[in-house]
Amino acid sequence: MAEHTLRQIAIYGKGGIGKSTTTQNLTAGLAELGKQVLVVGCDPKADSTRLLLGGLAQKTVLDTLREVGAGVVELDRIMKKGFQGTRCVESGGPEPGVGCAGRGIITSIGLLERLGAYTDDLDYVFYDVLGDVVCGGFAMPIREGKAKEIYIVASGEMMSLYAANNIAKGIEKYAKKGEVRLGGIICNSRQVDGEIELLEAFAEELNTYLIYFVPRDNIVQRAEINRKTVIEYRPDTAQAHEYRGLAKKIENNTRFSIPTPMTQDRLEEIFKEFGLIAALEED
Amino acid sequence: MPKKINLDIVEVENREQRLGTIIAWSGTANELHKQSNYQGRGCGGGPGKGGCQLCELEGPFSQGSVCSEQMVECQAGHVRDAVLIQHAPIGCGAGQVPYNSLYRNGLAMRGHQVENIRCITTNLLEDDLVFGASGKLRQSIDDAVARYQPKAVFLSSSCATGIIGEDMESVAKEKEEQYGIPVIPLACEGFRSKHWSTGFDAVQHGILRQIVKHNPPKQEDLVNVINLWGSDVFTPMLANLNLRVNYVIDLASVEDLEQLSAAAATVGFCYTLSSYMAAALEQHFGVPEIKAPMPYGFAGTDAWLREIGKVTHREALTEKYIAAEHARVAPRIEELKEKLKGIKGYVATGSAYSHALIQVLRELGVTVDGSLVFHHDPVYDSGDVREDSLGHLTENYGDVQHFQVSNRQQYQLYGFLQQVKPDFLLIRHNGLAPLASRLGIPAAPLGDEHIAIGYQGIINLGESILDILAHKKFHDDIKKHVELPYKQWWLDQKDPYILARHPELIDD
Repeated sequence: MAEHTLRQIAIYGKGGIGKSTTTQNLTAGLAELGKQVLVVGCDPKADSTRLLLGGLAQKTVLDTLREVGAGVVELDRIMKKGFQGTRCVESGGPEPGVGCAGRGIITSIGLLERLGAYTDDLDYVFYDVLGDVVCGGFAMPIREGKAKEIYIVASGEMMSLYAANNIAKGIEKYAKKGEVRLGGIICNSRQVDGEIELLEAFAEELNTYLIYFVPRDNIVQRAEINRKTVIEYRPDTAQAHEYRGLAKKIENNTRFSIPTPMTQDRLEEIFKEFGLIAALEED
Repeated sequence: MPKKINLDIVEVENREQRLGTIIAWSGTANELHKQSNYQGRGCGGGPGKGGCQLCELEGPFSQGSVCSEQMVECQAGHVRDAVLIQHAPIGCGAGQVPYNSLYRNGLAMRGHQVENIRCITTNLLEDDLVFGASGKLRQSIDDAVARYQPKAVFLSSSCATGIIGEDMESVAKEKEEQYGIPVIPLACEGFRSKHWSTGFDAVQHGILRQIVKHNPPKQEDLVNVINLWGSDVFTPMLANLNLRVNYVIDLASVEDLEQLSAAAATVGFCYTLSSYMAAALEQHFGVPEIKAPMPYGFAGTDAWLREIGKVTHREALTEKYIAAEHARVAPRIEELKEKLKGIKGYVATGSAYSHALIQVLRELGVTVDGSLVFHHDPVYDSGDVREDSLGHLTENYGDVQHFQVSNRQQYQLYGFLQQVKPDFLLIRHNGLAPLASRLGIPAAPLGDEHIAIGYQGIINLGESILDILAHKKFHDDIKKHVELPYKQWWLDQKDPYILARHPELIDD
């Protein structure tokens, strides 16, 4: 049997692309495989674990710190068990327009380490990070000794790929000097024309690959309204199988690379090659 | 058992989280000891467990304090063959000036070659905070290595780098590999802790993680002494037990720090400073911490020496030394007691150090019914009750009626001194001493922190007090010619914490 190792994974992508939904469905799939998973929401909106927890109001790490003080916070106050034993933490953060959300992530992850959240029995830690890596705090999950594996959630929409390319620039910086690697692009489909081909070409240019194509299905929204992952809400549906497929691909993934982000011109060339800009011009 | 110190994480856990540290409280020493519940905390694993938390007062403003980063300057900056790079705006390096003077004095007192402190700041500016400044940090490390050929490089963080999330650890790792010397990031942002002593712990954490050697050959006659820059009183004292001294962290070489793990035991002059390093050396490197009262006054020094004798297997030598010293110092102490009869003193220092000095004053027959400590640790890192310095004071020397925890708040010190009206003041962190002078009270700024240690320390302190009492007339003259900066309303207040208890008064 292979030596047990903890895989720490950070999920990045443009705001609103479906990172949290994808991460939670993916972790539900891994939990079904018997994996011990910790999900750390790194978004001030604190909505990264709602589906796993069945909508339970999760007290965020930073709210708890503010209320009771750092000296008396205990792990069970900030870490709740969700679907099939997944452990869920929400970093939280300040209200929009005040304070510093990036520092909030640094504080939260520091506290989790000190409280011993990273136990030996864990197979995975997932960091679901705010869309844009706007400052050093949002890169905290991929710093020394933390997530070494990154996946970018994207779709065939232009702005999503712009964001993905920008994120790749950040990853490249960390990858060149350490062990951080890009594990692939997860497509959360928006049913854009030629989406798979575009994503495959984009991924190849980025020196990675399209690890999974998650099709669009309204059942995802219905499950969300019911505060559940699709795997829990309708375990026998095609979409639930898709998420299980994604979980297996992540579990078995061996293709890790240092990304090669492209220039703006090259990115637009790819859009042209796949008809995206032409389509826009026609409009 | 108390929680084990975690050396796996890069950033040190701050004092309030580890020990439940407070910075404002008012009452008696007995009451503070009772509320601290040392034994309960030591067994229960820290604050929040093993008893109620101390009820800390919270003032509406602060008149003065110190930054954790300054403690890093005075420890990491004082390692003789290392360099400290402050990754910070230039103002954070203001402490380099006083710490250079302390460094030079310390080197001279210990017989080392006198030289200037080696601190560099990266001088962070607006652009650096917007775009990140890892390039500047790399360049500073390169420059420091080229200029000084250090055996280790310490990198201190600042509030600015902490907020922008500057990734100093990666740069440290990269440069450590490049140069083959420890490059040690230290998390000491001022906002990380309400008390500056976390800065001590940050340096010690970095040294424990990256400099102290694992499994070196043991040196059974070597004792680590965790101190600052005080005069060398431990070497002659411990020589009587055939023991050698390894002074750390200030004025040590990197090699001295490496061999911390080779020693037979670790001691300190004050648990505030030594708690973290000594406990971690025992937990992670198997070097026993001497668990005893600190070596001040007869009871403390006796117990401290006996524990060293026991741990290093030198019991007979120890007893011989204790007996000889008691006999030697007794006549002079009797003379001093005669001269100090009816005199009342006040102690304003760091936490455990104040407990120690009050003991020595009471050995000399000096009345002490008031003290100000800059913070209070309800427990120390080992959790061992034998280190309960406040308990040792109250049990062996009695209560202190006006025992105040106040983080260098000069406006409060005025009220404290009115409560007890002392004849003199013992003080460290000299910023408060001028207030005493204005009130006609001579103050002894204890620049040499070792002055009161051991049996000879009782004599030293007694003689210093006689010296400062000789300045009484001068201080009376000062009092006649100066005015205090406070309004009569404040000068008439009986409770120095009234603003903490009734912050609404500020708005009236």
